[in-house]
Amino acid sequence: MKVVQLVRKAKKGNKKALLELIMAQQDDYYRLALSYMGNAHDAMDAMEEMIVSLYTNMGQLKKEEAFYSWSKTILVNRCKQMLKKQQKVVLMDEWEPAPADVHNPYEQKEQRMELQEMLLLVNDYQKEAIELKYFHDLDYETIAGMTNVSIGTVKSRIFQGLKKIRDQYRGETHE
Amino acid sequence: MNEIEKRLKEEKQRMESVTAPPELGGRLWQALEAAPAPVQKKPKPKWPMAVAAFLLVCLIGYNYNGLAYYGKKIIGFDELMSGTLAELNDKGMGQTIGEQVQFEDGTTLKIDGIMTDANQLILYYTLSNVKDMEHDISFGKITGFLTDSNKGAGMSNFNEEKSEIKGQLTFDPVSPFAKKLTLEVEKSTDDGQWVTSKITFPYDPNQAMQTEIKQKLMKKVKVDKGTITFKTITATPTITIIKGTVNVENLDRVQLPFEQVVLRANGKEVPQIGTGTHSSIGGTKFEISFDALPKKVDSLELVVKEFVGYTKVDETIPLHPIQDQAFQLKGEDLWVNGVKKTEEGVQITIASDVDVLLDGVTIEGEGGEVPLKTTIRQDYKELDDGRMVKERTLLFSTDVVPDTLSVKGMHHMKPVDEVVEILGE
Repeated sequence: MKVVQLVRKAKKGNKKALLELIMAQQDDYYRLALSYMGNAHDAMDAMEEMIVSLYTNMGQLKKEEAFYSWSKTILVNRCKQMLKKQQKVVLMDEWEPAPADVHNPYEQKEQRMELQEMLLLVNDYQKEAIELKYFHDLDYETIAGMTNVSIGTVKSRIFQGLKKIRDQYRGETHE
Repeated sequence: MNEIEKRLKEEKQRMESVTAPPELGGRLWQALEAAPAPVQKKPKPKWPMAVAAFLLVCLIGYNYNGLAYYGKKIIGFDELMSGTLAELNDKGMGQTIGEQVQFEDGTTLKIDGIMTDANQLILYYTLSNVKDMEHDISFGKITGFLTDSNKGAGMSNFNEEKSEIKGQLTFDPVSPFAKKLTLEVEKSTDDGQWVTSKITFPYDPNQAMQTEIKQKLMKKVKVDKGTITFKTITATPTITIIKGTVNVENLDRVQLPFEQVVLRANGKEVPQIGTGTHSSIGGTKFEISFDALPKKVDSLELVVKEFVGYTKVDETIPLHPIQDQAFQLKGEDLWVNGVKKTEEGVQITIASDVDVLLDGVTIEGEGGEVPLKTTIRQDYKELDDGRMVKERTLLFSTDVVPDTLSVKGMHHMKPVDEVVEILGE
């Protein structure tokens, strides 16, 4: 219930409460931003934009409990807007290695490559949905909000994407 | 868990080792510090929604019969409308008009609405900007195609500021073929002349209310001094009218000869609204109007409880001393309230029930027998017990104070108790 109390404070314009809310899940936000933006610098820019946007639009949040899915949706929208501005499409396989000061998560390169290959099999929409669900632990409803489609479409994208990979994967194992 | 999901999970775990850079908190705080305070949004006014809803209701209301009465109700005449008319108005049985005309002095006459059926037209009007307290306006008739309707009864109310009059007027029914009606109005000008104005308004005969019962009666009822013939009954949602002819020689001897003719629907009396007679070549015609009939009529009958008749009296009343008690004249009370000698003659003030008219009145005394010259004053008075009496002063051309008052006979309401059945059980 601490979240709800903080959200209420934040709604009244309390900046510290808002920051506290974000910092409580800073890694989740950061990873989400990073997965879209591809580098730490842009990810942090996106988060800056997000927190300003949250601060000015706090009044629009009706359900306090929905703060995290709401704010993450705003973050994803910010990321997409920034990408559009940069005219830059970042695919996962083009990810640059993280800057030196950022801890590099990808130690087992072999496995990672395999997964990236798998995700290359599906289209961008399916990939986005799968990543949001499996990497960022977001629920269907939030994903639907972030990608501007219905929950049914999200489920279908994930299902179809996984099916495609599975068919391919099986094909390989059967060989 | 299948292989792919396992792989995805593994990838997620790897990703979890990615943590936010330590400077993130500081950057976010800086961004927040720089952010302008959000503009406190005012609660959006609700009235545009209300206006939209209202317009929608109006639009639908005019096109959807079930709601139509919201648009058709004649508004502002609650005080003037009787129960039946108010109920019909509530059901949207009236036609709203809204036409208006302005007179030279700035007075405006607005026709708010009408209610029509086969018996009558009821007009609702508003006079605004009324400067003169006097009713210097007179309504004429309503004309139109095959229509020439005379004015009937009316009533009106001033508002508190005495600047507006709201009124209800009845007219004879208008033709179902008329599409436009014209009301004639006469208005007096400052120099005392009357100027006639006309106001024309559209009329939709389809909106006239349906007649519920229209029936020929042709029933004769014998009364003391003649017969009454009930010819027709026309019941509409606003009123029930009985028409017929009457051939009774002393009909005009009482003020309201038809007052005791009642209409019973399902055993209950329907309130009488008015009676009227007019003579023509064919004899005297009458019209009795009653309130509208109840929705379901199982039995309907006309009862002539009493009608004007004549009773021989041949009584002599002593005038000295004057008594408080009433004299009995064949069942009717007669009070002698005073005997006075004036320059014109002897005046005797008497009182009786309102329907009693004495006949063959003379006085006797030292000056011999003197017949009644005339009746000079007549007043209606209410007794302490609520009984209405008629007091009048009789004038005799004599200067001798009489001893007695003689009465030969009287015209009064006599019991008849004849029933004319219209609808049987």
